[in-house]
Amino acid sequence: MARHHVTSADLAIHGDHLDSTGVSTVKSIAMGVALVGTVASLYLLFFAPEMIRGCFAYSWLFAFYYFLSLSIGGCFWTLLHNVTNAGWGTSVRRTFENLGSTYPWIYLFALPLLCPEVQQYLYEWMNIQRAATGRVEEFLQSHSSLLYHKYGFLNLPFWYGRVIFWGLALSLVIIGLRKLSVAQDTDPHPGTARLFQARFHSTYTLILFALTVTFTGFDFLLGLDYKWFSTMWGVYLFGGSALNAMAVIILTCAWLQSRGHLKHVTSDEHFHIMGKLLLAFTIFWAYIAFSQYFLIWYAGITEETSYFLIRNTGHWNTAMIVLVFGHFAVPFVFLLQAWLKRNPRSLSILAGYTLCMHVFDHYLITIPERGISLGNIKPDVFGGIQVSIPGAFWGDILAFVTIGAAFLFFLLRALGQHSLYPNRDPRILESANLSN
Amino acid sequence: MTPDRKRIYGYLAEFESAAALYQAAARVRDAGFKHWDCYSAYPIHGLDGAMGIKRSILPRLVFVGGLTGFVTAFVLSYATQVVIYPTVVQAKPANLFTIPAFFPIMFELTVLFAGLTVLFGLLALIRLPRLNHPLFESRQFQRVTDDGFFIAIEALDPSFDTQETHTLLAEIGGANIELVEEEDDDG
Repeated sequence: MARHHVTSADLAIHGDHLDSTGVSTVKSIAMGVALVGTVASLYLLFFAPEMIRGCFAYSWLFAFYYFLSLSIGGCFWTLLHNVTNAGWGTSVRRTFENLGSTYPWIYLFALPLLCPEVQQYLYEWMNIQRAATGRVEEFLQSHSSLLYHKYGFLNLPFWYGRVIFWGLALSLVIIGLRKLSVAQDTDPHPGTARLFQARFHSTYTLILFALTVTFTGFDFLLGLDYKWFSTMWGVYLFGGSALNAMAVIILTCAWLQSRGHLKHVTSDEHFHIMGKLLLAFTIFWAYIAFSQYFLIWYAGITEETSYFLIRNTGHWNTAMIVLVFGHFAVPFVFLLQAWLKRNPRSLSILAGYTLCMHVFDHYLITIPERGISLGNIKPDVFGGIQVSIPGAFWGDILAFVTIGAAFLFFLLRALGQHSLYPNRDPRILESANLSN
Repeated sequence: MTPDRKRIYGYLAEFESAAALYQAAARVRDAGFKHWDCYSAYPIHGLDGAMGIKRSILPRLVFVGGLTGFVTAFVLSYATQVVIYPTVVQAKPANLFTIPAFFPIMFELTVLFAGLTVLFGLLALIRLPRLNHPLFESRQFQRVTDDGFFIAIEALDPSFDTQETHTLLAEIGGANIELVEEEDDDG
């Protein structure tokens, strides 16, 4: 059991840089797929027949928010690590930061969602407000009482302002924190100053993070059905986001370790802790998901139940039941076991499984709305309200692969930019000799 | 009862620091002792590894405890709310699909039973509460709650030998090695 005590002699003085053999090929393939996919997607979003444009808008939103949730989670773990003054994860912190640093890039994939041509299929409330004659507020007062009362939040200028702000603000936060962390790597006289700075700046920006994860969820996803209310929405998305960002971090660290990186600084102990966090957030997600369902189910208010009615109609019902067991019960029982969390290989399998369930989760958040909304917005084109639109899932796959390839590219790019662990961080030895 | 009769409990040796205790523990473990323990005022990371202690069975007990609570709660609420006295609230069904209403109870009882298993399982496994411990006979052992780090090897252990064990403890850096004797109440 007694491990070799890691000393500064074991650390890579000039940093542990990603060995690019093989990686550059994967990176170029990912970039190629992302570029071709983006061009194809832009065609499908703007120039294809209306039937396809409408369906693909949902595919794009689903894929975009899925990968955004992973990036946001990367920012979360970075901020949390800094603000809690944590020592355990210093050797894997750079992976948090690298994952978080994909946020600005992934956010760029929201650009099509800012165009009215795409929005008309997604956000009914925008259509109503755009169709307004005269003063929008007065128009709404006579046409849609609910939208009139929500006008303070749901209005176009504020929506655009918010969406741009969320993109810029969290990007600046994660870029700044990553810069601060990377600057330490080459400092000939590394001290504790940057550690304290990172800790200080992570406090108020954590609030910014909370607002971002909550309100990107409101602006992009909750807005799909403006009649719906849920106070649990933001925290529900946060639960999935933190959980799956941790899954990506585990996979990345296990992959790096299998390639001979993170030597001496990352051990089974780190995987054990990350596995515990995976377990904790599996429980947290289930807790929040159930609470949301429970409150709505119990109260039985028409405006609120619509969300679950849609998702419990037809084959979506089976999917929702599978989600309960697949996203919670199964990983919960597996993750309870300590040996499984200490083994990078078995933990990676569970992390991969969790990510698949997250796809399922986000598919169920966005896609069931498609048949309803499109049939409601343009019945003549989309053939009335229906449970799902046949054949539309090909678009979902295309959008997912496109943004997924881009995500992979930006993650690999970030990993290759700097040392894979903060080799001159004052806490690196504490983290390397971790025992829990 | 003859108050003068004593029984050897084992050797007690003091170590100067947590690090020394850690190193010494690994040596005692390698010497093949089973009935021995380390004493310190605070938990030392990795000491269970250095002592060669196997994983406790407590987690398994807790899992069973939690499962018992889970099943109890389900049976209790299902039997009362569905079978014996079906309660219709806001047109909600009184059948298996009422289960969301039972979840809080199932959750609470799972936690409660698991928690109680932790407490009582732990007490049973470490044999607490007890009124006395033979090591309290030792005067120097009082410092264990302050700044003392000790290893005690019990005479009960098959590898225990009055000479050799003393030598071993001295070798691995033990100071103030003391043969602790307890009063034999059975006599």
